[in-house]
Amino acid sequence: MAAANEASAKPTKKDAPPNIPPPKPVLTKAERRAKQEKDREAKAAAKGNAATNSKPGAAGTKSTSKTSNSNTAVAGPSQISKSTKTPEVTEAAPVKDAVLAAVQSQSVPELRDETRGLRIFSHFGLPKQSGSSNLKGPLHPAIFRLALQFSDFQIVGANARCIATLNAFKTVIRDYVTPPNTTLSRHLMTYLNPQIGHLVNARPLAVSMGNAIRYLKVEISILDIDLPEQDAKDSLCERIDNYIRDHIMVADKVIQDVAGEKIKNGDVILTYAHSSVVQKVLLQAHERGKIFSVIIADSRPLLEGQESLTSFRVLFYLLFIIIYLGKQLLSVLAEAGIQCTYLLLPAVGSIIEEVTIVMFGAHSVQMDGAVYSRAGTALVAMMAKAHSVPVLVCCETHKFSEAVHLDSFNKNELAPTASKHSLDGPDKLRSSDDPNLQILNPLYDLTPPSNITAIVTEVGTIPPTSVSSVPLALGR
Amino acid sequence: MPIAAILALTELIAHSTAGTMFELVSALNSGAELLKQHTSNPISLSAGCDLFVAFVTTFAHESKSFFDLKRELVRQGQLYVKEASTSRSKIASLLLDFIPDDSVILTHSHSRVVTHALLHAHKQGNKRFSVYVTEARPLGLGLKTYQILIDAGIPCTVILDSAVAYAIGKVDLVLVGSEAVVESGGLVNAVGSYQMALIAKAANVPFYALAESYKFYRMFPLSQYDLPTHNDEILSLPTSLSSIRKPAMMSENPQLTMSDDQVNKNPGVDYTKPDLITLVFSDIGILTPDGVSLYLVGMFAG
Repeated sequence: MAAANEASAKPTKKDAPPNIPPPKPVLTKAERRAKQEKDREAKAAAKGNAATNSKPGAAGTKSTSKTSNSNTAVAGPSQISKSTKTPEVTEAAPVKDAVLAAVQSQSVPELRDETRGLRIFSHFGLPKQSGSSNLKGPLHPAIFRLALQFSDFQIVGANARCIATLNAFKTVIRDYVTPPNTTLSRHLMTYLNPQIGHLVNARPLAVSMGNAIRYLKVEISILDIDLPEQDAKDSLCERIDNYIRDHIMVADKVIQDVAGEKIKNGDVILTYAHSSVVQKVLLQAHERGKIFSVIIADSRPLLEGQESLTSFRVLFYLLFIIIYLGKQLLSVLAEAGIQCTYLLLPAVGSIIEEVTIVMFGAHSVQMDGAVYSRAGTALVAMMAKAHSVPVLVCCETHKFSEAVHLDSFNKNELAPTASKHSLDGPDKLRSSDDPNLQILNPLYDLTPPSNITAIVTEVGTIPPTSVSSVPLALGR
Repeated sequence: MPIAAILALTELIAHSTAGTMFELVSALNSGAELLKQHTSNPISLSAGCDLFVAFVTTFAHESKSFFDLKRELVRQGQLYVKEASTSRSKIASLLLDFIPDDSVILTHSHSRVVTHALLHAHKQGNKRFSVYVTEARPLGLGLKTYQILIDAGIPCTVILDSAVAYAIGKVDLVLVGSEAVVESGGLVNAVGSYQMALIAKAANVPFYALAESYKFYRMFPLSQYDLPTHNDEILSLPTSLSSIRKPAMMSENPQLTMSDDQVNKNPGVDYTKPDLITLVFSDIGILTPDGVSLYLVGMFAG
């Protein structure tokens, strides 16, 4: 069951990518570029009237005002909108300047010139459309497909993305042939860099992916130069498998045990959105006969909580069958099956009093103990703190991040605008095309360490203040 | 108790017939399990056992044969026990600078490390201070502390457990011992410590915990009811009111003291949260609660 979740790395979701390129032999650069342009157009079309207009031309026609402050040099195309916006532009400027350096360091420079209609949050990351224009080398089809899956949010979650990336790199390494007059340990890196760049273009790297890639690079660089190519490739693939096993699979098992011990009979566990780790913890605790109920809080834009809910329901049905066979329907039904309540973020305040433990997953955990996780987490944690409910964050150490951000404005991502769970409301707003209306859907937020009771990792349950003492080597 | 456990496990190694590390560690674990089963309060015992097992498993050895390794482990175990006996003196000397002259100290129940530290400050430190000690119902161990301090010539008064808030205004610092210091940086100690810490926090009086480093324990209680000592009987409410023999109780017990049954529904230890603790004094130094967790993570996860 647990493995099934991780296997979501494979495109099992309903809307598979429109055109997965079959492993094709060799394309010329121009051909490849043309193909990618075509793919992108198809993708952009699929996204409908999203404000994420990927083509610069389209951005110009529809959302004239949106580009006005992307660069101070650009003159406002419409007098009215410019005059109304002047104060905000001046306000935005320092923020922009402050983050400019960070943006420049982590993404390609041209992204700066694009906005998605967000004045201050234009640095949050944008749909990447010009992947081919800055390609530095040949792109492997596996990476191409993965990038599409990332940008379409078919693979989400730090663990799933990390596993998918590593598996894709395994394919890349297997298909790689060292050119003459060079060695694998020197050349493979230069071959991988554009592949990584393409993934970053599709969606900013998850911290887990960054750590895994760093690990892979170290492994490549320390390869013996005299090792035969096939042996070197096999050894790398084995290292990758070991990384997935040690840092994700086994780590998850340990976390399941450790966090499961904290669940007592009669507990009411509140979780937010969907985390593969939390899901495993709850399912295992349930399998071990703990009797508890789960409240799943959820929120737009992704409404991932429904995923958690579905997985528990499946279990519920399975149990139903077993129970039916055992002819103890009523008594066991009452005790077995995880009782789930599904609600949206605004309702959390009403039920927080009932909750005994709050459990989250995380995108990453910073060295200062702050947790970077799905937008809305900080809110739930704050509320739990106010009601003295312990907040547990389940996070493997491979997601630990050396970087420390002080707030969630510094670095964030925007949710895909054409999400499959889109409701009418905001889309209607968007289509009304009001130049003064902008929609902001950040993907993540930052929960300060003071609102977190403990972080459950594979090295044990630690207070957020101790994150920095977990040896970095564990996650790297 | 943790030291006794370490001694017992050292003994176990000396007599063990284990031929491999794996056998030895599993023998140690089952030995530790046996010890834990035979005590009502396994917390401090577990701390000692875990520490020793972790030490054995991570022990870097160069010995050629397993027999040599076992002998070395036994030697190290005995060495540790010998060193551990000095940890109370270390804590006592660390604490010396934190006791101002003419101060009033509040302590809870009886703790060997606290009495040792107070006697040290009185004799070697030539500090003049007076002590309030709580009675610590139901065992009344506070009276033991009282007797020791009075015998040493330290002015001391026993106060009711319920009089802590009343007394806190006259108190300069609070000193408590500990069953265990846990991974959150919090403290497990005789029941009443938590409320004492809460009161001290509210009154802005420093709350110092004294703990030998072998009492550091890898455990992360989320609440009082997450402690291993908690069971269903503690704080249980009567299921039916008819089972309470009210008139009978009054007549046979005119002094209004609790019956054994009533006492048994009460916890023996409680968990003090780390944000209430000012400093933890241990033989490895003076730590903040955060420092304790850093130390524990470094020791066991490193």
